[in-house]
Amino acid sequence: MDMTDKDNLLIEEFFKQAAQQQIEDNGFSKRVMDSLPVSQQEKAHRLSMLWTVFCVVLSVVLFFIFGGWETLKASIIMVLQTVVTWLSVFLTTAPTTEIPVNPVVILLLVAFVGVYLPYRTYRKLSAAL
Amino acid sequence: MAELSDIALVTQVAVLHNKRAFDQLVRKYQSPVRRFFLNQTLGDEQLSDDLAQETFIKAYVNITKFKGISSFSTWLFRIAYNVFYDDVRSKKQTSDIDSQEVARISAFSGDAGLKMDIYQALSQLKEEERTCITLQLIDGQPIDKISDITGMPQNTVKSHLKRGKDKLTDYLKANGYDR
Repeated sequence: MDMTDKDNLLIEEFFKQAAQQQIEDNGFSKRVMDSLPVSQQEKAHRLSMLWTVFCVVLSVVLFFIFGGWETLKASIIMVLQTVVTWLSVFLTTAPTTEIPVNPVVILLLVAFVGVYLPYRTYRKLSAAL
Repeated sequence: MAELSDIALVTQVAVLHNKRAFDQLVRKYQSPVRRFFLNQTLGDEQLSDDLAQETFIKAYVNITKFKGISSFSTWLFRIAYNVFYDDVRSKKQTSDIDSQEVARISAFSGDAGLKMDIYQALSQLKEEERTCITLQLIDGQPIDKISDITGMPQNTVKSHLKRGKDKLTDYLKANGYDR
């Protein structure tokens, strides 16, 4: 039997509403996402995270148990004392020492550190991002 | 956030294992995929949702196999088609047709009259005819895409469409739809 245009129209009209039907999600997507299997990479990533957290916690605990804080405090005080001593020696001896200073060199140095280096860093970051 | 293309979302899932990107794909395609299964199962909502869920899980597990030769929707429909026919084959081996009929009729309860009419009309067709007819007339897929989805040659698709439409025309005329 040959299909006529009328028959085609009849069928298309019959399925027209079904073609426009949109099915509401009603939690379907969430059910799918909840039932997705965990991949090997995800397992490895989770294990890596757990291992990192474990190491950090262990380091902090051992730091305090073995008096790490006292050692750190003593080191900081020692460094500060050294700096203060060095500064006091410098200030005491500096007025008697003549250091030839070229203002142009100082200006170039300030321009290099204050302008050129930040500009280059900015350019590199812009290119990277 | 602007809606990303399917390819961008698939890339995020495949490379970065980004589940949020896959969630966007599920939300986008849940309606056509579930509608496809509803039409194949003649309105069995529970079975349709189970098969649709299986389809998305298979898509997620095999996402790295998607090469972008066809569109993501064609690839997804092809998985859906295989999931449906795997289910049909397993049921043919393990159960009788009567139990499927009971499930179908119970799933009809509460459905609108037109939906029932459509499922009734689709029940006149063989499975392959029904798949081709619904993919063309309900999901709006062209013949070459139907061929990609089903793996049938285009001439076979055309034959199924022709036979299916002939049967539907007879059914609709016999039930007074041409008046």
